[in-house]
Amino acid sequence: MAKDYYEFFCPVKIVAGLKALEHVPYELSSHGSSNPLIITDKGVRSVGLVDHVTKAMDAAQVSVAGIYEDVPPDSSTSVVTQCARYYREQGADSIVAIGGGSVIDTAKAVNILVSEGGDDLKAYSGAGNLKRPLKPFFVIPTTAGTGSETTLVSVIKDDDTGTKMPFVSHFLLPDVAVLDPRMTLSLPPKITAATAMDALTHAVEAFTCLAKNPVSDSYATAAIKKISENLVDVLNEPSNVEGRLELAQAATMAGIAFSNSMVGLVHALGHNVGAVAHVPHGVCMSILMPYVLEFNLAERADTIGDLLLHLAGPDVYASIPSTQRAEKAIERIREMKEQVYSICQLPRTLSETGAVQRSDLPKIAQMSLDDASMLLNPIDATYEQALEILQQAF
Amino acid sequence: MLSLPKDLDAVDYSFQRAYVTGMMSLISRLLQAGSEVDDDIQREVAALPDGFVFRMEVMPDSPSLMLQKRDGTLHILPKESPIKSDLTIKFKHVTHAFLVFSFQEGTATAFANDRMLLDGNTALAMKIVRCLNRVESLVLPKVVAERAVKTYPDIKLLDKLQLSTKTYSKLVSNLVKEI
Repeated sequence: MAKDYYEFFCPVKIVAGLKALEHVPYELSSHGSSNPLIITDKGVRSVGLVDHVTKAMDAAQVSVAGIYEDVPPDSSTSVVTQCARYYREQGADSIVAIGGGSVIDTAKAVNILVSEGGDDLKAYSGAGNLKRPLKPFFVIPTTAGTGSETTLVSVIKDDDTGTKMPFVSHFLLPDVAVLDPRMTLSLPPKITAATAMDALTHAVEAFTCLAKNPVSDSYATAAIKKISENLVDVLNEPSNVEGRLELAQAATMAGIAFSNSMVGLVHALGHNVGAVAHVPHGVCMSILMPYVLEFNLAERADTIGDLLLHLAGPDVYASIPSTQRAEKAIERIREMKEQVYSICQLPRTLSETGAVQRSDLPKIAQMSLDDASMLLNPIDATYEQALEILQQAF
Repeated sequence: MLSLPKDLDAVDYSFQRAYVTGMMSLISRLLQAGSEVDDDIQREVAALPDGFVFRMEVMPDSPSLMLQKRDGTLHILPKESPIKSDLTIKFKHVTHAFLVFSFQEGTATAFANDRMLLDGNTALAMKIVRCLNRVESLVLPKVVAERAVKTYPDIKLLDKLQLSTKTYSKLVSNLVKEI
């Protein structure tokens, strides 16, 4: 059925492929930037990923204002304020974020302060509170999962209250996202798998939830195809440059899809499994996705059935009767989970994480009802239904 | 299948504005009454912080409804109230509000179609959306309510009639008190 109305927006320039890092100096100059601050974390820097970027910049005689490497996994207002102060002290004129979700979210928030002035980050929290373009902003992801390089959201913990503050604005979107396979080559198999399953969930939920639209569908399905064709190969051969690039592109495409079509119940449950039991986000997504798809079958069997083409290819799709495609698509995701488990032991169930107790499930189910991701799931899960899904996934 | 009005010039924004104004007044009174008589709505309201203010408006600045939690229930605030809202849902245009309040487009679909903006704590927004869904499920005929809410609740006809009667009775008694 045709979508009666939709909106789609993605102004991020994607610079992707072999030697993409060597395009960074040109991209900086084309945005009038000559003194960028690099924002990263100690882990990324210690494995030499920042060096790949600075060497490419040195060769083009572009210097950096400084490198801020103190971003923690769960960034907060004090980190943002400290980093913004460093930006000003160094006289920087733009930001290059090198890292995963926390680094990118931190850099987005820093860009608010250094562009708008002052240290009161809270004044800009919520939706639509930024009214003008910010400083030039470049993102170089070092994981292939979050898609943060193409999202308009940043989530930062408020040190005063302990709550997580969302910042939502089109002005938070990076100007350029650089995808270079060198940046994910050293990612350990388990993290590669978890982040790829996170990206797969972004694409699957963007494709199956209420805000799907024809443009985001094209990004989502391309991402699903790339992940299903490349994830196992990359896990078996981590130095597979082409496969790494495919996964990085898939994560970005899934990010574009879900930043326009949003996500659903997998995320509503997964956010709260993470909050209660501190299970990594991608692991939560991987575990919960097939169970939630089964729950959504009652409203979305045709759409879930369409996933089979992108998960298993045209031959399998054509050989399965249309009435069985949805179940087959879910079965295919379960097969992927089993393959991934056999290679790197990514947990298949909540109990296999070793972090979730059965006694945690009622609390997680209750919290999930208040997660905004529930709003666009095809079915509003009740507490009992959310608990049932969690028990199945346990 | 998509369809367009036969005469696009026939869109009467004045009528839509008047209709939305009336429906916002009715919905706010139903929410207030529901928070006094329905267990499900009371449970959601109980989880809101005391003094919490919710506002729904049509951009740029009218029409609107404003409710505040006080003493465990929801109370209507005058739209000119200076109290700052904790959560605001803004329709981008009166036509979008008309689609929702004439039950041509459900609340979740309206969010999915970017008809409105949400500013505030999203967890509290989910509670308010559930209150709206609950009150619509109770007071509207099932065939209409199924268009308004994403998932129609499992509720027996007799229970629905009883709760609907209680809600409308409370609304009337609140109106009488105001007079």
